[in-house]
Amino acid sequence: MKKNGCRSFLCPTPVIKCLLLMKMTVLLICFFSFQSMAYNGFAQEKVTLKLANASLRTAFKIIERQTYFRFVYNEEILPEEQKININVQAQPVGDVVKKLLNNTALTYKIVGNDLIVISTEQKLAVEARTPLAFEVTGRVTDTRNMPLPNVTVQEKGTSNGTTTKEHGTFTLNVTNENAVLVFSSVGFIDQEVPVKGRHSVDIVLQENVADLNQVIVVGYGTQKRSDVTGAVSSVPKSRLSELPVTNVYQAIQGSVPGLSVTQNSSVPGSGATVNIRGLNSINANTSPFIVVDGIPFSTTGGNINDINTNDIASIEVLKDASAVAIYGTRGSNGVILITTKRGTSGKPIIKYNGYGGLENLAHIMKPLSPAGYVQKYADWWKQQNPTQAQPTILGNDYEIANYNKGQTVDWIKEVTQQGIIQDHNLSISGGTKDVRYFLSGDYLNQKGAVKGYQYHRASIRSNLDVNLTSYLSLGTSLFYTNNNYDGGRANFYLGAAMSPYGTLRNATGDYEIYPMYKELLYANPLLGLYNDRIERGNNLNSNFYAELTPIKGLKYRVNAGWSYLPGRSALYTGRKSNDLLGTATVTNSENKNWIIENILSYTRDWQKHHIDFTGLYSAQRTDYFITSTVGTGFVNDLLSYNDLGAAATLSAGYVTKINDINYYGSYRNRADLLSQMGRINYNYDSRYLLTITARRDGYSAFGSSTSKYGVFPSAAVGWNISNEEFMKTVPYVDNLKLRVSYGKSGNQAIDPNATNSTEASVRQPFNGVSTIGVLASVLGNKNLHWESTTGLNVGIDFAILKNRINGSIELYKTRTDDILLKRNLPAATGYTSVWDNLGKVSNKGIELMLNTINVKSGDFKWESTINFSANRNKIVEIYGDGKDDIGNKWFIGQPIKVNYDYKMVGVWQTGDKTTGWDYGAKPGDLKFANTNGDTSITAADKVIQGSPLPRWIGGLTNTFHYKNWHLNIFIQTFQGAIRNNVNLTWADEAGRMNTAAEVGYWTADNQSNSRPSLSYTNTRGYGYPSKDNYTRIKDVTLSYTTPQKILNKTGLGSLTFYFSGRNLYTFTNWVGWDPENDFTFRGNSGWDNNYPLVRSFILGVNVGLR
Amino acid sequence: MKKYITILLGAYCIVQVTSSCNKSFLNETLYSSYSPENLTDSLGFDAAVVGLTNQLATFYNKSDAQGWPSVWQSGTDIAFVPPSQKQGIEVPYYDYTQLISTDGAASFTWTWAYQLINNANNIISTIENPKANINMVQASKNSIDGEARFFRAYAYNVLATLFGKVPLITVPLTAPKTDFVRSPLDSVNAQIVDDLTYAATNLPTIDNEKSNSKGKLYGRANKAMAQQLLAEVYLRIGKPDLAEAQCNAIISSGKFKLVTSRYGVRAGSPGDPFSDMFVYGNQRYGQGNTEAIWVLELENTSTVVGGYAGAPQQRRNWGAAYYQISNMVICDSLGGRGIGRLRLTDWVVYGLYETNDMRNSQYNLRRKFYYNTVGASNYGQQVPYTGADTIFKTAPHTTKWYQYDPNDVFGFAMVKDFILMRLGETYLLLAEAQFKQGKLPEAAASLNVIRARANATPVTAGQVTLDYILDERVRELLAEENRRMTLMRTGTLVTRTLQHNTQTINPVIGLSAKNLLLPIPQSERDLNKDAVLEQNAGY
Repeated sequence: MKKNGCRSFLCPTPVIKCLLLMKMTVLLICFFSFQSMAYNGFAQEKVTLKLANASLRTAFKIIERQTYFRFVYNEEILPEEQKININVQAQPVGDVVKKLLNNTALTYKIVGNDLIVISTEQKLAVEARTPLAFEVTGRVTDTRNMPLPNVTVQEKGTSNGTTTKEHGTFTLNVTNENAVLVFSSVGFIDQEVPVKGRHSVDIVLQENVADLNQVIVVGYGTQKRSDVTGAVSSVPKSRLSELPVTNVYQAIQGSVPGLSVTQNSSVPGSGATVNIRGLNSINANTSPFIVVDGIPFSTTGGNINDINTNDIASIEVLKDASAVAIYGTRGSNGVILITTKRGTSGKPIIKYNGYGGLENLAHIMKPLSPAGYVQKYADWWKQQNPTQAQPTILGNDYEIANYNKGQTVDWIKEVTQQGIIQDHNLSISGGTKDVRYFLSGDYLNQKGAVKGYQYHRASIRSNLDVNLTSYLSLGTSLFYTNNNYDGGRANFYLGAAMSPYGTLRNATGDYEIYPMYKELLYANPLLGLYNDRIERGNNLNSNFYAELTPIKGLKYRVNAGWSYLPGRSALYTGRKSNDLLGTATVTNSENKNWIIENILSYTRDWQKHHIDFTGLYSAQRTDYFITSTVGTGFVNDLLSYNDLGAAATLSAGYVTKINDINYYGSYRNRADLLSQMGRINYNYDSRYLLTITARRDGYSAFGSSTSKYGVFPSAAVGWNISNEEFMKTVPYVDNLKLRVSYGKSGNQAIDPNATNSTEASVRQPFNGVSTIGVLASVLGNKNLHWESTTGLNVGIDFAILKNRINGSIELYKTRTDDILLKRNLPAATGYTSVWDNLGKVSNKGIELMLNTINVKSGDFKWESTINFSANRNKIVEIYGDGKDDIGNKWFIGQPIKVNYDYKMVGVWQTGDKTTGWDYGAKPGDLKFANTNGDTSITAADKVIQGSPLPRWIGGLTNTFHYKNWHLNIFIQTFQGAIRNNVNLTWADEAGRMNTAAEVGYWTADNQSNSRPSLSYTNTRGYGYPSKDNYTRIKDVTLSYTTPQKILNKTGLGSLTFYFSGRNLYTFTNWVGWDPENDFTFRGNSGWDNNYPLVRSFILGVNVGLR
Repeated sequence: MKKYITILLGAYCIVQVTSSCNKSFLNETLYSSYSPENLTDSLGFDAAVVGLTNQLATFYNKSDAQGWPSVWQSGTDIAFVPPSQKQGIEVPYYDYTQLISTDGAASFTWTWAYQLINNANNIISTIENPKANINMVQASKNSIDGEARFFRAYAYNVLATLFGKVPLITVPLTAPKTDFVRSPLDSVNAQIVDDLTYAATNLPTIDNEKSNSKGKLYGRANKAMAQQLLAEVYLRIGKPDLAEAQCNAIISSGKFKLVTSRYGVRAGSPGDPFSDMFVYGNQRYGQGNTEAIWVLELENTSTVVGGYAGAPQQRRNWGAAYYQISNMVICDSLGGRGIGRLRLTDWVVYGLYETNDMRNSQYNLRRKFYYNTVGASNYGQQVPYTGADTIFKTAPHTTKWYQYDPNDVFGFAMVKDFILMRLGETYLLLAEAQFKQGKLPEAAASLNVIRARANATPVTAGQVTLDYILDERVRELLAEENRRMTLMRTGTLVTRTLQHNTQTINPVIGLSAKNLLLPIPQSERDLNKDAVLEQNAGY
C-alpha cells in the first residue's frame, strides 16, 4: 500500500492544519496542511487536462494540483500498463475522472467535499460478504504520548479500515483474531501490528521526520518536504513536551544539527545564547531571527519566555542562504520558525497537561571545610607576610569568636532551598469546517534552588480561523503572556565565598549584615531577601489576517500584526539590607510594534509542470521607550518603592546601554523596515525542483550617506533522484534527494542611531548645584550598512530500508562581507571604538541528521536520532591590509573568538632561576612560556590557545517502547572548545574569602604545578583558559500511556503519566560549577546573579477529555 | 459581494503601498542623545566646558581599580603597599619588573587624557571657526576657548610628563585614524605653552567668575590656574625664569593668601589652620579657603544628584584600617573607614618633619589610636603600636582625606573636594624656579613663607637644594600632589625612591632609569596599525 501524497500549497501563513478524511474502503488518509480553505462548491470544480500516453497516476496527480480534490486508492489496483489519452477543457471533476476510468475495472466515489476514492467494485462486493467477526479497539499516540486523531487503521490485505477519533481512539471489526492492522498517517512511519487475539491494541507511531509528504513551514508559506530545496530542519516533536523546560531554547538545545544553544545561566526564567551554523559577525547580533506564526518576534523586544512551549505545533530551523534569503537583512544568522497549534473541525478537544517536580543544584563546587579554611588563612598569612608571625587564628573578630565557640555555618545550604517547578496547561480546540478555534491557558511556576529566585508565567492564546465566504477567510493569532521574576534574591556568589566561621544571624534574629565582621567587604549573602523587588515582562501580541482567493490559484493575503510589550521593575533596598538611607528604583518600559504584510501568491500546474509564485510587500515599525527613577533617603522602610515622592533625592535611574552609551532617566528609539520579496518555485514531475528568491529591505538605522536598501537574491535546485524511473529498480532506497543552493542574506543587527555621532550628558556639581555637561561619546559612521553573507549549501536527504534509516547530510560554506564591526580605535582619536563595515568572515561545516529504528520486534521498539554538526569559523580579512588586530584579538585565519593569552607551563617552584625568563617572579607565581625566547615575559609571549567556539556539537536520542511504556534518553554534547575559567582567576581576594576545595593553591610545602600561591597577583590578566568540553545526560523521560480498555471505564479520552529527569549527569573535566553556565566574580557584571545548573525531576500527566 | 470585497481590498492595498512608500518612512530620529550639531549656542558651549571638568574628574574619582590612587604614590619616596592590602593596578609601580606595555594604569591615563583632549578640540575648533554662526559676544567666546585650552594643556602636560613624546592632535576627528606618530616633545610643549598663555590671558580672575544660584563659580577655570600650570610646565621644560614670572603673577595678584588662622566649620574644635583647610566644607575658595586656586568639588550623591561620578578611593587608600582592631569602631574623628592600601615610608613617618611643624601635628598626621568602643574594658586606652598592625591597622597616616558619612559607614566612595591647586604650592614652584636660576636666597625666602605658616624653622639659602625643595613638597603637599609625576618631572624618581623607600616589606623591585617614562600602551600601538607608535626605551 502506498499513500498518495497531499500536495501542499504555499500557504501564506505558516499554519499547519490537519484535515482528516476517511472512508471505509479507503486505504489512506490525507494529512493535509493548509489553512482557511473554502470547502463548499468544489464538486463543481473544473479541470483542464491534456495528456497523451500518460499513466492514470499522473492524471490523478495533475487533477490534484488543479483542484482541492485528493485521490485515495490502493496502488496495486491501478493498471500500470494502461496509458491514458485525454483532452478536456474546463470539465467538472467528476466527469473527467469518469472519463479516465472508462476503460478500467475501477469506479470512483466522491467522499466528503474533496476526496475521490478509487476502488474496484468487485473488491467491495467481496468485502460486503465477509463477516467481520472480531472487534478491536485501541488508541494511537505519537512518541510524546499525544493522541493522534485521523490515523488510518486498516486490516492488512483488505480494504477494511477506519480512522482514529479526536483522542486517537478507534474501533474496527476485523475478519479474525489473527488479523494484522496497518496504521498510517502522514508524518509518521507506517506500522503493522498483529492482533494476536487481543481486543485492545494501543500503539505509538514513530514520527517520520523525512516523510516526504509532510508539510513544513518555510517562511511566507509552506512546502511539502519533498519539494524543499533549502536546508530546513524540523525540531523533533519529542522535544516539545514532557520536559521541565521554561522556554523553547531549553527544549531544542542539541536537537537540530547546526543549531547551537548555550544556556549561560540557570536563573529561573533566563534565556540562552543561540546561533545557527557558527558566527557570521564579530560585534553585531548573531542570534537567529525568530518568527512566530509568520510574524517577526525577535525584533519586537519579545522574550523567548513569552512563547508557551505547550502551544507550539512545530519548529523549523532555516539554515542555508536559499531558505533564509526571504528574510533579507534579518536572515543571515538563520531563522527559527515557530508555528502554534490551531483548531481543527470536529468535536471540542479538551486537554490538560501538567507536571510538577523538584529542582536541586546539579553539582556543588564544595567550599573548603572549616579546617581547610583555617589552614588556608594560615598559608595565606605566611605567603603574604613572610617576616611576621600570624597574630590570630583567623583574620576577623567574628570569625575568631565563632572559631572559639566551635560554631560553623554551611553557607551553601543557607543560600539554597528546595526548588520546585510546576506547569499546568489547559487547551480547547475544535470547530466547524468554517470556524475553527484553539484556546490555551498555561501557568508555570518555578521556585528556584537558590533562595529568593522564582519565575512564574501565565499565558493565554487564542487562534481562530474563519471562512467567511468561499473566497475570503479571516483569522487571528492572539496571545498574552505575563512573566514574573519578582522577589529579593540571595547572592549565591557570597554564599560560596563566606567564611564557615561567619555569623549568620544577629542577636535580634535578622541576618547579620557583615558575617565576617570586621571584614566589611563581604556582606551577608541573604541580605537580598530583605529587598522588595519586582521584575515583570508582558507581551500582548495580536495578529490578524485576511485571505482572498479571487480566482483559482491566486491568493492575496494581508497580515496585520500589533504587539505591545510593557515591562516593569522596581527595587527597594532598606536598612535591613545595609542601605541606611533606603533606595527605591522604579523602571518602566514599553515596546510597540506594528507590521503590515501584503502577500500575493499564485500557483499553477500544467501537465507535469508546477509553478508557484509568492510576492511580498511589507512595512514594520518598532518603537521603544524606557524610563527609570531612583529615590534615595526615606524616613523608614515602610513605603518601599511605592512613594518616590517620599525620597529626599530623586535622580535618573540607569535604563539601558545602547551603542556604548549608558542612558539614565529615559531612552527612546524607533526603527522602521520596508521590504519587498519575490519567490518562484518551479518543479517538473516532482523530480526537478527550482527555487529563486530575492528580497529587498530598507532599514532606517543604516547610514544617511548610503543607500538604506539592500538586495538579497538566492537560487536553489533539487533533484528527487528516487522519483526517477531508474530508481524504481533499487528496492531498498525509499528516498534520495540532492539539493544545492546558493544565495545571499543580510544582517542589519545594529541598534538604531548607531550612525550618529552623539554626546552624552553628564552631571558636575558647582556650589552644590548639579550642572549638566556634555561629553563626546560615540563617533558615528554615516556609511554604515548591512553585512551580507553569501553561502553555498549541498544537501542529501535519504531514506533506506523501508524508512528504517533516514536522514540528511548537509555541507555548507558561507562568507560574510562588510561585517558590522565595532572596531577598536587608538585612544588618541578620543574614542574607543566605531561601528564599521569591515572585514570578511567565513564559516564552513558539515551537519548530519540520522533517524534509525534499531529494533522492532513485537511489542518492543528502539529508535535513535542522532545529530552532529561541526563548524569552522575563520576571519578571512579584517581591515583589508592583511594585518591582524591584536588589540581586539582578531587574527586572520583564526576563529572570531580566540583565547589569546600567555601560555601557562607550570608554577615557579622554590629555587627556580627566573632571570632571563621572568625576572622578579617569585616561587608560587604562575610560570608562563617564554614563546619568543627573549629575556622576559611580555605581551609578545601571548599565543593563540584555542577558541571558545566548539569543534563539534551533537545530540543523541534513544527511545525505547515496550507495550505502553516509553523511555526517552537524550544526551547532548559540546566538544573542542576552550574558555577562560573565572573559578581559577582570583584565588581568595587576599585572604578574605573561602575558595573551592577542588581549586587548590600552591604552598612552599606542597608545591603545586598548576595553581599559584595565595599571594599571587594576576597582574598580567591571565584568564586561565581551560577545556570546557562536556557531555550531558540532558533528559530522561519514562512514560506510560494508559491502555484504551482501561480508559473506556473512566470516561477519559487519553491519559499519560510520565517521570522525567533533566541534567542528570555531566561528563566533564571542567573545574567549576558547570562548563556551560557563566560564573562571574565579585564586582563584575552579573556577579550578584550567579546560579548553578539545576537538576530537575518531574512527574507529569496528560489528560484528554472524551 | 466577492467583487466588492476584491475591489475594497485592492484599493486598500494600493493606498497602503503608496503611503508607506513615502521615503521619509526610513528617516531616523535621534531621540535620546544630543549630537554635536545641537550644541552651538552659549548654553551648549557652557555644557561642553562643564563636560571637561567632568572628564577631568574621572581621573580622580576612578574606582574600578581601587589601588588607583596608590599608583601615583606608592613605589616612590613616600609610600609602599602593605602586602595584604594590595589591589593589583598599583603592583607594577613598586614591583617595577611588572611594569610592562600592557599596564592598566598607563593605559587608562593615556585614554583619559586623549578623551579630554578630543572634547577640548571639539570646543576649540568650533568656537574658533570664523564661519560658524555662533551667537555669542567675542569675550564670551574667548573665555570658553580659554577654558577648553586650559584643559587641553592640562591633558598634554600629563602625557608629556608621563610618556614623553606623544601624538599631538589639535583638531577633532570625524573619521577613524590609525596612523598616529609621536610628535617631538618640543612641539607638544610648545602647544601646551601656547594654550596656557591664551588661557591665562582670556580666563577670568577667580573673583570675576560667573555665578550660579548659590554664588560664584569658583570651581570653573580661572586665570591663576592657567598661570600655575604654566609655571609647572616651564619648570619641566627648563625655563625657570618664565616659571618664576608666572608664580609671582599669582602671588602679586592679591587674589589668594595663605591660610594662617583657624576658620570654617570646625573652627571651634581642636585643630590648626592647616588642618582646617582639609575639612569638607572648608576646602573651597568660597568657603574661606583663601589659598584655594583650583578645587574639584564633590557632593554627596544622596543629596545632590550627580555629586560625583565613580567612587573616589583616596580615603580608603590613605586611611588606616583601624576598624579591624577589636574594640575599635569606625568614627568621624578617625576619618571613617580607611583600609590602608598604602603606608607612608618610615622616612616620612620618622624622618621628615620637625616635631613642632604644624603639618606634623596630630590633626594632620595621626600616629596614635585609642580604643573607642564605649563600655569596653580598654575604652580610652591607647592601642599598642607594635607588630604587623603598624603596617596598615595603626599605620601613621595623613588626615587630609578623612571623611565619614553615618549613612554609609562602609564608605566605598569618599565625598570630599580635591584641592588641585593652592597657593602653598605656588611658593614651592616659585622656590624651585628660583633655585634653578641659582637665586638661592630668594628660593629660601619663598620656602620660608610656607614654613613660617607651619611654625617650622626657617631654611637658609645654603640649605636649599632640589632635594630640600622636594622634601618640602612632601611636608606641605603630602597626599595632595601626584608624587610620582613630580618625581618624573624633576627626573628624581629613581634616586629619591631608592634613597627613602627602603623597607623590606614589599620592597621596591626593579626600578631603573627607564621608569622615568611609562610604556606607551601596547593596545594603542597595536590598534595604530598604519604607523608605528615607537615604544619608550626599555619597554
